[in-house]
Amino acid sequence: MTGQSGAHRTHLTDPGYRVGAVAADLEYFRTKRLEPRVLNLIRRGVVSLHDLMQAGSPTAGDQRNEAASADLEQRVRMLEDRLDALVRGIATVMVPMRSADVVIEDMRRERGDYDGFFRIAKRTYAGSLEERMVQLGLQLFECQELLDAFTRALLAAGEITEDQLEQRRQAVRSQGYRNGARLVARAWVDPGFKQRLLEAGREAARELDLPPGRLGKLGVAENTEHEHNVVVCTLCSCYPHDLLGDPPWWYRTDEYKQRIIDDPRAMLKETFGFEVPAERSIVVRDSTSDVRWMVLPRRPEGTEGLSEEKLAELVTLESLVGAAEARTPSTLA
Amino acid sequence: MMDKGASQPSHRYSVGDRVRVLRDRPDGNPRTPAYVRGRIGMVVALHGQIPNPLDHRDLYPPLCTVRFALQDLTGRPSRDFVTADLHEEWLEPVPDEGW
Repeated sequence: MTGQSGAHRTHLTDPGYRVGAVAADLEYFRTKRLEPRVLNLIRRGVVSLHDLMQAGSPTAGDQRNEAASADLEQRVRMLEDRLDALVRGIATVMVPMRSADVVIEDMRRERGDYDGFFRIAKRTYAGSLEERMVQLGLQLFECQELLDAFTRALLAAGEITEDQLEQRRQAVRSQGYRNGARLVARAWVDPGFKQRLLEAGREAARELDLPPGRLGKLGVAENTEHEHNVVVCTLCSCYPHDLLGDPPWWYRTDEYKQRIIDDPRAMLKETFGFEVPAERSIVVRDSTSDVRWMVLPRRPEGTEGLSEEKLAELVTLESLVGAAEARTPSTLA
Repeated sequence: MMDKGASQPSHRYSVGDRVRVLRDRPDGNPRTPAYVRGRIGMVVALHGQIPNPLDHRDLYPPLCTVRFALQDLTGRPSRDFVTADLHEEWLEPVPDEGW
């Protein structure tokens, strides 16, 4: 994460913590998604280094500087927004190409999930908060430039089309954890739906008019009085993102992947302030890409008579991976 | 989580079977986590063979969810569990106790 092990919920609003989160996530998307994709297509002759250079647009140095007058909160928000835009852009360019077939498994090999030789070095961001923010701003800019050049090079080579990109942009927009919240709320009010969701998750999603995605099975792990589920992918970061959008950013960090397996109880308590009752077993679900898990949290007490829409508001992104329970109605106000 | 119909090759294992994960399986799916290799667990769900062409081109053998007691993995007392979804080529049967 950010080197602040034992970070508690209160840290999530701390600028230093948020900047650390942007840095960790940027490095993940750069070294695990964007650059391996570029390298793989160069290796296979789909685009060349020269194509990329031609598609690049040299940028004047002063364009790289953030508005220095903005206050700290605004500038942190700006970094977060630029990371979001970059991540959406990376997801958008992942469309089928005319002359090359790329599947996710190719990316796992290319980025060194199975062989450290291929791993792209991650950068570290050191110095004062101010210095780290400047470095990060620059790095976000450079990544965006690479992504833009890569996208233009694929378009110029006729490997992808504008129409494909637009369709994909819309698909990416429709993914998000609110889809998961709706599935959970329906399962809470409709036992028949819950059964179908547990048995065949993606098919059940269609009943709510949700695009079910196509990445293997959706596994749904139901929390009970006796068992609390928490999801991880220790090898990469498998998650039903084609249906639920991106998992929480820390889901992709090495610290989470290691600690949740080694000592889930302590991890949930110290990092998320979530104490699982001693009499309840924790089941950590390590995923492959063929079954992508989400958690069905327990319905909170005192929610009888709430509408399905209100119930969905109680379901947080964290509760869908098991790092928290669903919220109680009293926290909604 | 049973896959009806779609799964052509049938499962070698059933829910409740005790299995050991092989230490190595060079031609198997490389994603089997290192921390369960050589460990004994129990099959708790069968998923059949899962076509997932956006993720990988070829089909892997049928997939099982195998549950491990955390204390067997870490050596520290615990009431918690870890499950891993493992393809059957990685598993071997463990004879019943009293063998």
